[in-house]
Amino acid sequence: MSHFKNVLIYSDYNKHKNTGCIPTVITAEEIALYIEKIPPAPAVVQEALNHARAGDLTKASKSASEDPALRLYLKTLINRPIYGFRNEVSDVAQIFGILGLGASQQTLYNYLLSLLTPKKWELFSLTNHQFYDLQASISKHWEAILVHLKINDKEIQSAISLIPASIIVCEALFAKRKTEVAQLRCVKALDFNTILFRLSGSDLFDLSGEIARKWEMPERISKLIKSASGMDQTLTGQERVLAQWMHLLLFYELSQSAFVSAGLNEFIDFKIEFVQDIYESFAQVVQNT
Amino acid sequence: MRAVVKGRIGIFYLQGFLDGNNAPSFLTIEDVKATEDLNVDMLLVSLKKVIFFNKNGLEVFVKLLSTIRNQKHIIVGFCDYDHAKFNAINTFFKDELNFSLFKTQEIAELFTSSNKGESRTVLLYNEDSSQRSAMAIELFDYGHNPIMAQSKHEFEEKKKASELYYAIIEDTNLGVYGQKVATRVTGNAIIYTISHFLDAEINDTFNLSYHLNSLNVGFRLFIFDAYKVISMNVHALNFFTKLASAAAEYNASICFVGLSFEKTPESFKNDLEDAGLMFFDNMDDILKNKELLEELGAGGGVTAKKSRSLNKALVNELPLFIEATVSTIAMMTNAAATKNSVNIQTLTIPNTQDQYASSIGFYGDIDGLIILVFPKSIAKKACELLIGDPDASEEEVLDSLAEFVNIIGGRAKVLLSSNKHVLDITLPRTYSDIKTLMEIAHDKKGVQVDLTFEGERFIFFLTR
Repeated sequence: MSHFKNVLIYSDYNKHKNTGCIPTVITAEEIALYIEKIPPAPAVVQEALNHARAGDLTKASKSASEDPALRLYLKTLINRPIYGFRNEVSDVAQIFGILGLGASQQTLYNYLLSLLTPKKWELFSLTNHQFYDLQASISKHWEAILVHLKINDKEIQSAISLIPASIIVCEALFAKRKTEVAQLRCVKALDFNTILFRLSGSDLFDLSGEIARKWEMPERISKLIKSASGMDQTLTGQERVLAQWMHLLLFYELSQSAFVSAGLNEFIDFKIEFVQDIYESFAQVVQNT
Repeated sequence: MRAVVKGRIGIFYLQGFLDGNNAPSFLTIEDVKATEDLNVDMLLVSLKKVIFFNKNGLEVFVKLLSTIRNQKHIIVGFCDYDHAKFNAINTFFKDELNFSLFKTQEIAELFTSSNKGESRTVLLYNEDSSQRSAMAIELFDYGHNPIMAQSKHEFEEKKKASELYYAIIEDTNLGVYGQKVATRVTGNAIIYTISHFLDAEINDTFNLSYHLNSLNVGFRLFIFDAYKVISMNVHALNFFTKLASAAAEYNASICFVGLSFEKTPESFKNDLEDAGLMFFDNMDDILKNKELLEELGAGGGVTAKKSRSLNKALVNELPLFIEATVSTIAMMTNAAATKNSVNIQTLTIPNTQDQYASSIGFYGDIDGLIILVFPKSIAKKACELLIGDPDASEEEVLDSLAEFVNIIGGRAKVLLSSNKHVLDITLPRTYSDIKTLMEIAHDKKGVQVDLTFEGERFIFFLTR
């Protein structure tokens, strides 16, 4: 009987022996490869962005019109319910005119980000249209927040566009490890951002910042995006204020029913103590938007 | 959203904003089903990271909690809130507080059973004197030492010496409380507190899986503190008789202390004695009699007389258990694992120094026990992901090790379910030294798999 057991074990063992080493979770190499694979910003979009940064909306819309995919994106975005237009708006010059300079630049960043969205979301139960809704809603609320804070800065206005990049990065890195992470989260309330940080030393917002750098966005944007995780305790002045509002805005959006259902509410850790003192003002601003 | 389970407590960790619109989205039908299937004594919703909530939002969870409480007789409620949130909940549910409120998770843990057996001194105050007394009685039943302040002034005065207390209990309300049998651990004995009329409901209120787990991990003396029992009927008699049969398989002893037969038929006593149960008048008759304790099996890790051998069903699934273990460790340490050897033998640990061990049992279609022996360095690394601090204390590492083994148990359960095996896992146990482990496992024959993680030896042992 004992001999029989041994044979059985070794035969089963050999089936698995070929695998030898079991793949690990997320390596630094995998992260580097992911960043490396991110395509550069298309020339047409770069050109439109340069014109927008220089304040020339006409040239920006002309450049943007040359890219059919961008044209379609702009048309889809501006006709989302949050913008509230009764009649369809389809002309790029008209769209840019409605949005204004700051929001047009922001929308171009949103488009760049949309290029990274997966064909099929696996980790989060999301569709690309829902993702565009999230982008649009964040952008609209951010605009109102900056008015409230009396900040008139196109780069700061645009920076918010890259915040949802953290969701795309999370989807890309964790989709294949969905089961393992779910098991881990059965016994410990760990968010994806913390798991990634403890495994690799970088968090999702660091990687979003890397994407901004790859797309040659100003260094300030990259820095602002990183601060939105709410993990940097050393921030002071305007940087801290912006980080607080971004962090709370992100959680406000991720608490919407569709995004809770998608599983997005749990993807990063909400630093409630970091935003507690701005909550009252925040509630007033979003209520009036 | 799924509840996170630690020990015997399941907790939903909510974040952000909670209102009537989004609250139903937190719970899918599968989530509700998974929650109903949880094997816990307490189910809570943490409000620590909820910045805004309203009554409609809370009600979605209250409904789920009430359903679970009615089905399983467990404690349900909310935890981790500040004074303002506590007041808001009381205002929302003023006349219908049919759940419990625990200011922190640490306070909630005092009201559940654990294998740790630590008696805590706590300061307690509630404006409502009946709540105050109810909490003190519950805490006492769980083996703690509650200091009850009779007035707000007395409470504030005593609170100044906060270092004297493990926890200061305020803004806490038991509400409609679960009816599970209270459990505490004293040395190597497990004490269950039972009260009032014992009938068929004992099947629901007694935590059988906890009891079986305790048998599996080596406890051999179980005492029913029955001072407050008024009488029992034939259903309860049958229940205790079956419990005695299960205990006999492990050579364990079950005792009743303080049970009066004024309203319970004397013939029940004879039946229970025939089944192997013993009766004592006072708790001290057992706990202060060392010789008797030894005789009853509470002297240490006495192993079951009837040692069970490996079977084909268990061995067939060995690769799945190994895969669950190795992939979990790889995930937690971000390091690759190599399998070195597989043998059927008794547990052999060449180097017993600087090692931690842990075990978790499983039962259902197949049953057995997984034992893991780690070098301390690997254990610490594996737990770093859970703790987030490389300089964590030994207590924190051992606590996380239990969670870690729980993950392995959970992974094995999922993998085996794909082979159509339905099984459940028990509470994990950790060992800070190998000696205690060997007292339980030295004569058990099983499959020993030696693995290497970053050059360090790691042992996986599967037995019954």
